Amino acid sequence: MTDTIVSYLAKFGPFKDLLEFLTESYGANGPTLFAFLIFLVGVIIIVTILSTIGGLGTYAERKISADMQLRMGPNRVGPYGILQFLADGVKMLMKEDIVPKDVDRLLFFIAPMLALTGVFGTLAVIPFSSGFTLTDLNVGVVYLIGISSLVGLAIFLGGYASNSKWSMLGGMRGASQIISYEIPIVLSILAVVLLSGGLSFGVITRAQGGWPHEWFIFHNPFTFIGFFVLFIGSLAETNRAPFDLPEAESELVSGYHTEFTGMRFAFFALAEYIEVFVVCGVTAALFLGGYQVPFNLGGDTIWGQLLQLGAFFSKTLALYYFVIVIRWTLPRLRVDQLMTMCWKYLIPIALFNLVGAGVWMWLFKGKSLFVLLFKSGTAAAGIH
Amino acid sequence: MSNLDIYMPILMLLLLGVLLVGITVVLISKVVRPHNPNPVKEQAYECGEDPVGSAWSLFNMRFYVTGLIFIIFDVESALMFPVVAVFKSMNEIGLGGLVLIELIIFITILVAGLAYCWRKGDLDWVKSYKMSEDSKEGTGIEND
Amino acid sequence: MFDLTLFFISAVLTVIGAIMVITTKDLMHACIYLLASFLGMAGLYLTLGADFVAAIQLLVYVGGVVILMVFAVMLTGGPHAQKQNKFGMIKTALMGNIRTYTIGGLTAVVVLLMMVKLYISIFKNYTAGELPNYLPTVERIGKSLITDHVLAFEISSVLLLGALIGAAIIARPRKNRIN
Repeated sequence: MTDTIVSYLAKFGPFKDLLEFLTESYGANGPTLFAFLIFLVGVIIIVTILSTIGGLGTYAERKISADMQLRMGPNRVGPYGILQFLADGVKMLMKEDIVPKDVDRLLFFIAPMLALTGVFGTLAVIPFSSGFTLTDLNVGVVYLIGISSLVGLAIFLGGYASNSKWSMLGGMRGASQIISYEIPIVLSILAVVLLSGGLSFGVITRAQGGWPHEWFIFHNPFTFIGFFVLFIGSLAETNRAPFDLPEAESELVSGYHTEFTGMRFAFFALAEYIEVFVVCGVTAALFLGGYQVPFNLGGDTIWGQLLQLGAFFSKTLALYYFVIVIRWTLPRLRVDQLMTMCWKYLIPIALFNLVGAGVWMWLFKGKSLFVLLFKSGTAAAGIH
Repeated sequence: MSNLDIYMPILMLLLLGVLLVGITVVLISKVVRPHNPNPVKEQAYECGEDPVGSAWSLFNMRFYVTGLIFIIFDVESALMFPVVAVFKSMNEIGLGGLVLIELIIFITILVAGLAYCWRKGDLDWVKSYKMSEDSKEGTGIEND
Repeated sequence: MFDLTLFFISAVLTVIGAIMVITTKDLMHACIYLLASFLGMAGLYLTLGADFVAAIQLLVYVGGVVILMVFAVMLTGGPHAQKQNKFGMIKTALMGNIRTYTIGGLTAVVVLLMMVKLYISIFKNYTAGELPNYLPTVERIGKSLITDHVLAFEISSVLLLGALIGAAIIARPRKNRIN
């Protein structure tokens, strides 16, 4: 049975009572109704939290860039300007919704919708903790890659529907960049799947441990490179600098969302910042041990879950911080450099990694580098 | 829970994404936002110039080639996903070498195609300028 | 309960999407309706318990084929490309003549008869089925790919190699006839 938040919560007293009550009242439909209620509440909570994180992401972006450039950054709304994103949201809501004359109205409406839908769809399988995963699908990784490719289509449609030259260029660049960088991402994920033997995030996370030497990033030299391939690919997938060609401010005005105003723009921005969090979370789950805590402290209890949430969020937010710092450090790539980087460097490296990881698994029976070193160390010590 | 209940949150999230955008853009925002369109506002933004012609024009072939090669790699990875997923359990019962060889053959054939495209310059983004100036030999282009 | 909901949503999405694809006049809109149809089909696979196939449907069709089609539409100059060339000739071809309509009509009749024959046998032996118990499909697909169907697995790689080289050759810029 697939682990879901429902199967986790059903172990606890009040939820068990609710389940029994619903089963008595509605018969066979009781468990479905129970699942529906839990999922509904869970979905709303997770979407709210992630939207807040996305909003805070815009604030963090400005604050960190201000720090790096010796400026103040937002400091008016709330303490240290932390409520700036709410003010921005209200401003966006009040802005006039300018729809240029020549746009494709249907697609102009659908593009932000697809972007947000694609990002929200990924949230279903993000492993926040062993209990609080909405649903740990057997094919979670494939599902995540598939549903997040809606965002690439949304970026293209945003550029296309605007009927503006800047937007069109940005949209074309964005779509081709996103599909190109999907390949190295998929290939480095394949290497992780090969090590863990399952396509669900739960299996992949449980194959790792709480301590850094049990993470897949330090499992063998190939996964160490694979982590960086995945991370670079994720940067390109989310259109973050140095791969922000679809929205290159200095050449394309604002790229694919030049013509979008008000809430339509806000949804594009929100989708982008949530997607950054999602790819950081996925990277953390695949390579950095995800929600695993040392000694499996707390176990299945509520405190254990909170510790796991803390581990997951601290790893993810550390990566998030790193992504923001990269944006304000590195210059933007040229389009041909971008494609060369993907097709001539990342994809061959990722393929090599995949084969290398397979050979490592076969040669050393799946043992990690640390185990091999440690074992040979003790063996040598035993001889003396 | 019945079999398919685990897919419930996916449907919910997708519907939520659609509804959130729909309701906010169509309903809530319409109530509070101003609406004073004028011809200048409704032009496409081109840094102050009047836009000439439509942006929906013929695009470069290279985007389509990227898409084609992407699809092929996508299908390859789709075929490899189940195989690598069983690699670990196969490795534990001693069949790891067999699976590995099958996987390596599969990847080698794929790499051969990639190497061919690389060698012939199909992976170069700026090839069209180079190609037209190239001499006859070595480009693999027929003189038709 | 949810099984039915998922089925109906997916089926409606698939059918409405497919109908809109063939009725809309705008190529780009057709691509988006096709996306809806593909998403619905992924849902239908889920209701049949084929979770891996559904995920692959998302990965390959929703994520790849739709974008490729959209690029192909842009290759034609967009759906609103000028229909006349610089000499004032209309570029869109005629929709067909007597011969094409005859051949098309005959083909449609043959296909229809075949489908009727298929459906009659299905409706005769129709019994309401139960959904099979949920079993993870990835492992079984993987095991059969590396044991029974290993040849198909490797041959498909050769097929894809052919597709890759073919795509590269077709897309290669032809040298201008200067001399």
